[in-house]
Amino acid sequence: MTIAKTLAIRGATLVGVLFAVLVMVVVTLGATGFSDRMLTAIVNEEVRGLRQGLAQTIRDADELEAALRDHRQELEASYGLDRAWYLRLPQMIGRVIRLDLGEARTLKTADGSSSITALLRERLPRTMMLVTTASFITAGFGLFFGVKLATRVGSRLDRVASLFAATSNALPAWWAGILLILLTYVILSTFGVRVFPPGGMYSAPPPEGGIPRLLDLMWHAALPVITLVLISVGSWTYVVRTMVMNTAQEDFVTVARAKGLPEGTVMRSHILRVAAPPILTGLILGLASSVGGAILTETVFNWPGMGRLYYDAILSVDESVVVALTFMFTLIYVSARFTLEVLYIVVDPRVRYS
Amino acid sequence: MTERLRTTLGELLTSTTGKVGVAFLSVMVLISIYALTANPVDFGDRLWNNPAAWADNPKNVPPAWTGLFHGSRRVNHSVLEAIAPAETRLSTRFVERVYALDVDFPYDEAPTFTSFSLEEAVYQQRPPSVTVSVTRPDGRTVNLYRLVAPAPRENEPSPYRRYESTPFRVHLTGEPSVAGEVSAFLQDDFGMSDQSGSLVGRVDDAVFGVPDAASETGFRPLQGAYRILVTARFQDENDYIGRVRFVVGGSQFGLMGTDSLGRDLARGLVFGFPVALTIGLITAIMATGIGTTMGIISGYTGGKTDIGIQRFSDVLSNIPLLPILLFLAFILGQKLWIVIVILILFGWPGMTIVIRSMVLQVRSGQLVEASTALGASRWRIMLRHIFPQMAPFVFAQMIFFTPAAILAEAGLSFLGLGDPSIPTWGQILDQGFRTGAVYVGYWWWVFPPGLLIVVTALTFVLIALGMERVVDPRLRTVRQ
Repeated sequence: MTIAKTLAIRGATLVGVLFAVLVMVVVTLGATGFSDRMLTAIVNEEVRGLRQGLAQTIRDADELEAALRDHRQELEASYGLDRAWYLRLPQMIGRVIRLDLGEARTLKTADGSSSITALLRERLPRTMMLVTTASFITAGFGLFFGVKLATRVGSRLDRVASLFAATSNALPAWWAGILLILLTYVILSTFGVRVFPPGGMYSAPPPEGGIPRLLDLMWHAALPVITLVLISVGSWTYVVRTMVMNTAQEDFVTVARAKGLPEGTVMRSHILRVAAPPILTGLILGLASSVGGAILTETVFNWPGMGRLYYDAILSVDESVVVALTFMFTLIYVSARFTLEVLYIVVDPRVRYS
Repeated sequence: MTERLRTTLGELLTSTTGKVGVAFLSVMVLISIYALTANPVDFGDRLWNNPAAWADNPKNVPPAWTGLFHGSRRVNHSVLEAIAPAETRLSTRFVERVYALDVDFPYDEAPTFTSFSLEEAVYQQRPPSVTVSVTRPDGRTVNLYRLVAPAPRENEPSPYRRYESTPFRVHLTGEPSVAGEVSAFLQDDFGMSDQSGSLVGRVDDAVFGVPDAASETGFRPLQGAYRILVTARFQDENDYIGRVRFVVGGSQFGLMGTDSLGRDLARGLVFGFPVALTIGLITAIMATGIGTTMGIISGYTGGKTDIGIQRFSDVLSNIPLLPILLFLAFILGQKLWIVIVILILFGWPGMTIVIRSMVLQVRSGQLVEASTALGASRWRIMLRHIFPQMAPFVFAQMIFFTPAAILAEAGLSFLGLGDPSIPTWGQILDQGFRTGAVYVGYWWWVFPPGLLIVVTALTFVLIALGMERVVDPRLRTVRQ
C-alpha cells in the first residue's frame, strides 16, 4: 500500500514535469507564431503531394486548383489552422506526444528518410549507448574509489580527490571534450600517432565484418565516453565517499566490527547497505546534468546521436525537430528518474514501511 | 543582520579556500571594472562583430609571448604610421611629400601579409598620386604600389576630399599589380624570369627576402632595417594627405593571439569578465531571493499555500534545464536577458524546497513562539525572526548558484545560441569550435576561454566551500 502510494506520488510529479514541459513548449510555440508556421509547412507539403496525385486524373487547370483549394481548407481545418493557437493546444500537445511533427527540413537519416520519427528512432539508440556506458563506468569507478577514500579520510589522496571533485564539478562537458581533441591533436603532431579519432561514430568507410566494426565503434566512442565520465565521476566519488564515511561512524558498524565480522562483510552488508539510498539520491540529482552533458558532448565529438541532432537542428533552424528533441530529452529524463525512484524504494526499507 | 554578515565574511576569510576564492574574485572584479571603462558599452556590435575593426590584424596567429619558446624568430606584428612627411620636395610643377616608415626586421620568416592604408586626401584641382616603395637592408628598392585619388565628380565643389570617413586600404600581399611590380624587381635585380602570376599572395617572401633555391618558398628572409617610403605628389601646395599606414603582418600577436577574423582575443576575453560576473550574480541573487521568499512563505504559512508552492517547485525543479533552455532560447530569440530570466525561473524552486524544510524546524522554536506571544505580526516574524536565521545559508547558496548560471550560459553560447551583441567566453569557444580551430591545434583560441570559465566557476565553489563552516556550525572552530 505505502509503496504504491509513494510510487504514485513520485510518478504523478514526474508526469507533471512532462506535462509542464509540453504545455510550456506548445504555449511558447503558439504565442510566438511558430506553431502556425510549422502546421502551414505540413499542410503545404500534403497539398503538394495531392497536386501530383490529382494532376493524373484532373486535366483542367482551374478544376485542379479548385479541388486543391478545397483540400487545403479541409486540411487547415483538420490541423486547426483556422482557429486561434490557444484553441488547438490539446491537439498540438497530442501531436508532440505522438511525435507527429511532419518532416525535418534538411536533416535526414542514413536511409534518406526525413521523417522526424525515423530520425529519432535512428538517433536514440546511439545516445543511449553513449550515456549508459558512461553511467556504468562512472558508477563502478565511483563506488570503488569512493569506498577506498572513505577508509582513509583526511589522507593526501583524499584531499586530492576532493579537489578533483570540485574541479570536475566546474568543468563544462564541452570544454573537457575540446581539451581531449586538442590533446589528441598534439599527440598526432608530435608523435605522428592518431590515438583517437577527433569525432564521428565510424571510420569512413567503416570496416567490414562484425568484430572490426564493433572495435571501430568502440574506438570512436572512447573520447566521448571519457568526457562524460570525467565530468561526473568526481562529484559521484565524493558523494559515495561522504556517505560511506558518515555511515561508517555509526554505532551499529562498531558493533558489527566488535562481533568480529570480516571487514568486507561490514562494508558490504552494513555500511553500503545503509549508505545506498543517499548515494542513489546523488545519482538522481546528477541525472539532469548528464542529459545536458550528452547534448554538449555529442556536439563536440560529432557523435550522430540526439544531442548532435539538436545542434544540427538549431543550425538549420528546424523548429519541428527542436520541439521533438526537447520532448524526447524530457521524456528520457523522466523515465530514468522514475526507474531510479523505483530502485530507491527497493533499497530503502524506510520508504516502504513508514 | 549586518553583524551576522560581518561575522560570515570574517569566518570566510579565516579558511584557506575562502581566502583564495575571495582573492580570485577581487581580481575578476578589478578586470571587469577595467573592461567596462576601457571598452564602449556596445563593444559587441561596434567592435567585436565588425570585421573592419580587425582588418589590419593577422588571422589565426598565436600570442606574441609564444615566440619565446619558438626556435626561429617569428614576425612581430607591427603597424607603422605617419602623419607628418619626413621630407618635402618642391619643384615648379608639383609638390612632393615623402613619408618614411622605418621597421627593423630581424625575423626568420616573411610577414604573413602587408597592407597599406591612406586616410584623407584633399586636393584643389588635380588628384594627387601616391606611390609606396620599400628600401631594403641590401640597398635595393622595390616599388610596390601606385595609387591616384579618384577624380572630381561633376559639379563637385573644390577642394575635393577623398577617403575621409572610410580610409583607402589595400591588401598588398594579394594585389596583382603589386605582384607585377615585384616580379619586375626580381627580373631587374636578380635576373629571375617573369613570375608575376605565381607571386600573388606571396610577394612578401620576395620583398623581405632574397632568392634562395634551397628554401621552401624560393626565398630566404633578409634581416635588417627596412624603410617604407610613401611618396605623395601634389599639384597644388595646399593639397595634402592625412595619414599613411603600413602594416607588417605578424605571425604572432598580442597577449592572446587572434582568431580567424583577426580579432584580438585578449580584448574579447577581458570583456567576458564583466559579462560572466553579471550573468552569474544577477541570476544567483534573483533566484535565491525568490527561492528564499517562497520557501519562508511556504514553510511558515503552511496549509494550501504550502502544498501549492511545494507541488509547483517539485515540478519546476525536476525539469532538465539544458534542453528547455535550448528550446526557449531558440524560439524566443538570442537575447542575454531572456537567458537570465529563464535561468532564474528554473533556479528558484530548488532553493524554496530546502528553505521550507529549514523554516519548519525554526517555526516550532521558542523564538518564534515568544514573538507570536508578544503579538508580532506574521510578516514581522518572517522578516525579523525567521529570515535572519536563514541568512548565512542563503548567502552560501547564492554563491554556490553563481557558477551554475555561468556554466549554463556558456553551454548555451557554445551551442550557438548566445547573444551575438554581447561577446562571452562561451561564444569565443563556439566560434573556435565551429571554424575547426580545435582540429588544427589553435589552442590559444579554445583553451583560454574555457579555462576562464572553469576558473570563474571554481572561484565561487571555493568561496562556497569556505563558507561551509559559517553555514554548518559544527565545523566551526570554537571561539567566543
